[in-house]
Amino acid sequence: MEYLVVFLVLVVFLQTRITNLKRAVICLGSQSFIIAIACFVLGLSTSSGIHAVLPGILTLIVKVLFIPGAVYRLVGKLKNEREILSASNVNYSTMAAALFLVLGYVLVERLLPGSAGRDIIAASILMIMTGLSLMVLRKRAIIQIVGLITLENGIYLLGLLMTEGLPLVVELGVFLDVLIAVVVLVILTSRMRLSFMTTDTSVMKKLKG
Amino acid sequence: MDFMMISLLIYLLGTLTIVFPKRIELFAHYLGMICAALGSGLVAYSALNYLLYPADSWLIETGWGSYSLQADAWSSAFLLLTGVAGVMISLYAIDYGKGYLGNRIRLLSGLWNLFIMSIVLVLISGDAFTFIVAWEIMALVSFLLVNHEAGKKKTVSAAYQYMVMTHIGTAAIMVAFYLVGSSSMSFSFGDMANNSLTGFMKDVAFVCAFLGFALKSGLMPLHIWLPNAHPAAPSHVSALMSGVMLKVALYGFGRFAFQFIGMDVFWYGLVVMVVGLISAFLGVLYATMEVDMKRILAYSSVENMGIIFAAFGCGMVLYAMQQPIISIVAFTAALVHAVSHSLMKGLLFMSSGAVMHATGSKNIELMGGLAKKMPYTALFTLVGSMALSSLPFTSGLVGEWLTLQSFITLAQQAANPELRLLVIFAFIMLGLTGATALGCFVRLYGTAFLGRARSNIVDKAHEMPVFMLLGMGLEAVLIVAIGVMPDILVNMMQQVFSGIAAVSMGTPLGIIWGGSGHYAIYSPGIIFIMFALIGVFMVAALYRSSTFVKQDVTWNCGTVPTSRQQYSATGFSKPLRRAFEGILSPQRTRTYLRKEHAYFGRKLRYDLSIPDLFNDKLYKPMQQWMINSSSAFHKIQEGSVSLYIGYTMVAMIVVLIWGVLL
Repeated sequence: MEYLVVFLVLVVFLQTRITNLKRAVICLGSQSFIIAIACFVLGLSTSSGIHAVLPGILTLIVKVLFIPGAVYRLVGKLKNEREILSASNVNYSTMAAALFLVLGYVLVERLLPGSAGRDIIAASILMIMTGLSLMVLRKRAIIQIVGLITLENGIYLLGLLMTEGLPLVVELGVFLDVLIAVVVLVILTSRMRLSFMTTDTSVMKKLKG
Repeated sequence: MDFMMISLLIYLLGTLTIVFPKRIELFAHYLGMICAALGSGLVAYSALNYLLYPADSWLIETGWGSYSLQADAWSSAFLLLTGVAGVMISLYAIDYGKGYLGNRIRLLSGLWNLFIMSIVLVLISGDAFTFIVAWEIMALVSFLLVNHEAGKKKTVSAAYQYMVMTHIGTAAIMVAFYLVGSSSMSFSFGDMANNSLTGFMKDVAFVCAFLGFALKSGLMPLHIWLPNAHPAAPSHVSALMSGVMLKVALYGFGRFAFQFIGMDVFWYGLVVMVVGLISAFLGVLYATMEVDMKRILAYSSVENMGIIFAAFGCGMVLYAMQQPIISIVAFTAALVHAVSHSLMKGLLFMSSGAVMHATGSKNIELMGGLAKKMPYTALFTLVGSMALSSLPFTSGLVGEWLTLQSFITLAQQAANPELRLLVIFAFIMLGLTGATALGCFVRLYGTAFLGRARSNIVDKAHEMPVFMLLGMGLEAVLIVAIGVMPDILVNMMQQVFSGIAAVSMGTPLGIIWGGSGHYAIYSPGIIFIMFALIGVFMVAALYRSSTFVKQDVTWNCGTVPTSRQQYSATGFSKPLRRAFEGILSPQRTRTYLRKEHAYFGRKLRYDLSIPDLFNDKLYKPMQQWMINSSSAFHKIQEGSVSLYIGYTMVAMIVVLIWGVLL
């Protein structure tokens, strides 16, 4: 489990530094893949039957295959699209992620001292905050979608650890929610590409009266 | 009670004229106005009956669910005023409203009924909820009536200004009602009297109530909607708004002062008094500067509401000084002046409507010599102007005399020198107000009705149709009747405060007041005898000397006098403008249209404008501040989604850090 957390933190940090859209999506997929493995590990260690494997399978299907696949296809249609950022901006987001990691550990120490899943909680807080910061700081719609999924993964991981397996209905609901959100976002992004010839969300300001 | 309900039904019937088909819109107009007159007549009759023979404990008491209607003597005084004004102005509007034929006349007559009905409902509402509902109907309907000539840009902006201002006032009144109601756990007026407000919350309730009602009655500095709304509205609407709606604010304030908040705190009365005095003086000063007939009258309304509130405040101060018996003179003064102001301001707004009808203009600089073209209107306007300048034999003097008496009483009762100093200030203000009002109405009447015609719009002027004259004439007769026999009205209004036992002031001889230590008497009879004696002496003196009369053109250094050599309205008020330059700060611009030589062959244009002091010094900076602060808020809420997500993120971090630190 600790190795998984190390990989997860590594992937999230990598996420803050990637500007190429395709690589960002691949990175997202691998992040979700780690979450899926975490699901299997946690599920098999705490419960049995279908409940033990179902979250992992769902994560695998929805977050590893479907969502990155859809976004990847969309990225394939985009040309000359990359997150244009100065190096300092990337550095700031990495530094912010580092701070979030520290914050996560401090939080766990204070609020849940002696908790078993200390590293997982810290990692999920890191993912939530980093996802948010990706949505705030980056301008490309694709990266913002990636941020949203990262945020979602963080919340999901935290929930999984805290409750040791959510009820099935809730889990299905959560996945459906994310699925719909991403479908809508993908459609919106491709419409945006058609209308504005770019997926830079800052041009949307033109729409304001 | 029955009559009141019937009158409400009649008003409702009149309101239905809105939905009459267009083919019979003239009939709808007649029906609406007759309904309004009939309903108001019933209101006036039942109020008068109740005031003269107070048999029942309530004029009306009924209710449905959480709504209740209740009217006591204080309501009845205002119901009487509303009814009388309603009858007269509706009669006048039978002919005047015909000018709006084809211009949504059904709407005008229907809303007219609804307007009077809402005023009556405000006056007879028995709980805060009914009051606020009726008050809002009154505000909305009067907004629609002001906005009737919506084709004009000025009208629309005036109407919206009125709307905004009146809603600020309503908000303040609602706060006041809420504070009083929540401390007494009930919104019925009877229970709200037993509230447990004390200290700071009581002060807040008083300030809110005063703010709201002062705004509606147009006291300075909350008056700015008034001089814009009145000229914009049709004349009979401005007559009712100025004559009645402003008094309804006094009614509401009186409810608060007598019933809910009490008058035992000394400074409440002082604030009301000082604000009233300042409004009185500044109102008449601005009135004297205007050349638009209806703006003159609107500012004069500010003045008179100022006098009424000053008298009321004086009464509150006297009451707070543990002199309830003596304070009755001030409250009676406020009521009497309210009644007489509703008569005279209604009359003058009607006559300004007549003048507009005849000449098509409101600018008195373009008029002159109208008395020859429309003698009856001129006569009625003269009576109204005399009343507004509080000359003898008119109702205006009765109210002002009582106001002066109440201040003399206050001076006599004042214990400390500061209060006495304030009373001296009050005398100065009242004196200035009276004198300026005289000048203002001499100017108005003289410029518009006397002298020579200043432009050709006077040529086509004509006398008014019979119902317009009837409406104005009845008001003029009432004004003179009250002026000659003030005792009936004064005693009736004194009866309103039957909780305060005192000797009735009105006697057949005149009004006698002994509360100030000395006996003061105002007797039209004695004044008449004095005038008659002086007249007789003068005639006798002239009769024996060899007098001769020869009528000729005014000598004018050998040239024929032209209308341009008359006093213009602007010129007439020049001395005042010079004297109060600091307050008025007139803006003069001189433009040379043609200038060939320094002394001849030149053409000048002279523009004069008097900016409203409060508009420039208070409202514009406030508006600017609001715009600036909104643009500061705009930076925070810019419409950028990432910014909003950023706020969420910052909030989350703050919460997490907070969790860590705790």
